[in-house]
Amino acid sequence: MSLLAADDHVRLPSWVILRFDRVRGRHVLLAPERVLFPCPTTVTVLERLGAEGRRLADLADELAAEFDAPREEILADVIGVLEELARGCLLEIRRSGHDRVGTRAA
Amino acid sequence: MTASAPVPPEPVEPPIGLLAELTHRCPLQCPYCSNPVELVRRGNELDTATWISVLDQAAELGVLQVHLSGGEPALREDLEEIVARAVAAGLYTNLVTSAVGVDADRLARLRDRGLHHVQISFQDVTEEGVTRIGRAPGALARKIALAEAAVRLGLPWTLNAVLHRHNLDRVERFLELALELGAHRIELANVQYYGWGFVNRAALMPTPAQLERFRTVLERAARELAGRLAIDYVIPDYYARYPKPCMNGWGRAVMVVAPDGRVLPCHAAHVIEGLEFPQVRAMPLREIWYRSAAFAAFRGTGWMREPCRSCPRREEDFGGCRCQAAMLLGDPTATDPACSLSPHHAAMRRLAEVESTGEPPAFVYRRFGTRATMRRRELAPLPAD
Ligand code: SF4
Ligand code: SF4
Repeated sequence: MSLLAADDHVRLPSWVILRFDRVRGRHVLLAPERVLFPCPTTVTVLERLGAEGRRLADLADELAAEFDAPREEILADVIGVLEELARGCLLEIRRSGHDRVGTRAA
Repeated sequence: MTASAPVPPEPVEPPIGLLAELTHRCPLQCPYCSNPVELVRRGNELDTATWISVLDQAAELGVLQVHLSGGEPALREDLEEIVARAVAAGLYTNLVTSAVGVDADRLARLRDRGLHHVQISFQDVTEEGVTRIGRAPGALARKIALAEAAVRLGLPWTLNAVLHRHNLDRVERFLELALELGAHRIELANVQYYGWGFVNRAALMPTPAQLERFRTVLERAARELAGRLAIDYVIPDYYARYPKPCMNGWGRAVMVVAPDGRVLPCHAAHVIEGLEFPQVRAMPLREIWYRSAAFAAFRGTGWMREPCRSCPRREEDFGGCRCQAAMLLGDPTATDPACSLSPHHAAMRRLAEVESTGEPPAFVYRRFGTRATMRRRELAPLPAD
């Protein structure tokens, strides 16, 4: 079962850091005792979440318009790339008002 | 190309992690400590300026995370300065502490300097249990206070549970504690038998039945807690089917800088005779990573013999742990006996079964001046089956 739904408002906690690594010439995602090398799709999704976070449905609308692709497919992709991060407690997820985070809202 | 043509070595990737052992001093005396039996004394520790240079060089080289560890890193009065510099260099900065030496105020100062994550060791779940291992009365209360401070400060923290025959049956309580105290992550790490842990192996080894039960609890927790608590675990090698990919491969992902400035591919690597570990005071980190003989010694797969050499798993576990092969077989180029394909595997497992079911010997506590010798009879090569 997926931990994420279209209506969820999602962002990276302040302590999960997405940055470009000059040495390797690619993005890296840094978290407690973990180093991930996200694919370009994941990077796009994470960047678009921004510091404030986004409702996943809104993000899917935006990307669907921009890339001229079916919205449901895009939403499934977005949830797909975020799912692993959610399971590893590396996302802050708000659902209809209350926090239900990968652990807790920092 | 003929079958015997040498395979060209793969290009060496930059390191990902730096384990900075700031000091071997520690207020605790855990008998499973993975520090070497020959502890580095305070007078031989690197000074602040050298650590700062190490951090700058590491970031330049491509290191992404630094783990400030020890001993107890909080015994360094310059910890704030070291954290600030690591963060400024762009390193994701983890503090690995026993909580003795860091109170809420100090953690706030470290957070203000940019610390990203703190890992707190829990020797057990009761004050009595913690004291039995660490010998620092009142330590559990400090650990709990530090965990609560981390949550208040918005710092993610890991509960680092070190497991063995005396506390493995309380694994559920460790998990509950992590949830109650708002941990981001728990590490259910069975003792690894290196350093002091090797000396105390017979006193610490869990029984096969304990381990079986642990696996069941672990499976359930992973299922039920996904998205609530990040769980990492370590199984004792002695009961494993395949070895762990030790350090993700020798000289492939991690550098360890010991308190005296020696640089090692693994914190246990000093048990391998004949390797000379470069000194960060004498050689740039970049040169150590790319050019030193110690880091090249077991890099990649070229050094392997059978059964590793032709094994389909050789790029996954890199033949396991070189130090374990050296300690148990006297040969660092042998397949790790933790591997079921090693001819010594059954003997290794038997050793664990015998030790774990016997009366546990008294602990040899980890402290300066204890003359702990690795018992020779256990170092003798295991017989092939
Ligand atoms: S394992 Fe125990 S004795 Fe060793 S450094 Fe950690 S807290 Fe100190
Ligand atoms: S034989 Fe070597 S490479 Fe294969 S699984 Fe065992 S340790 Fe790993």
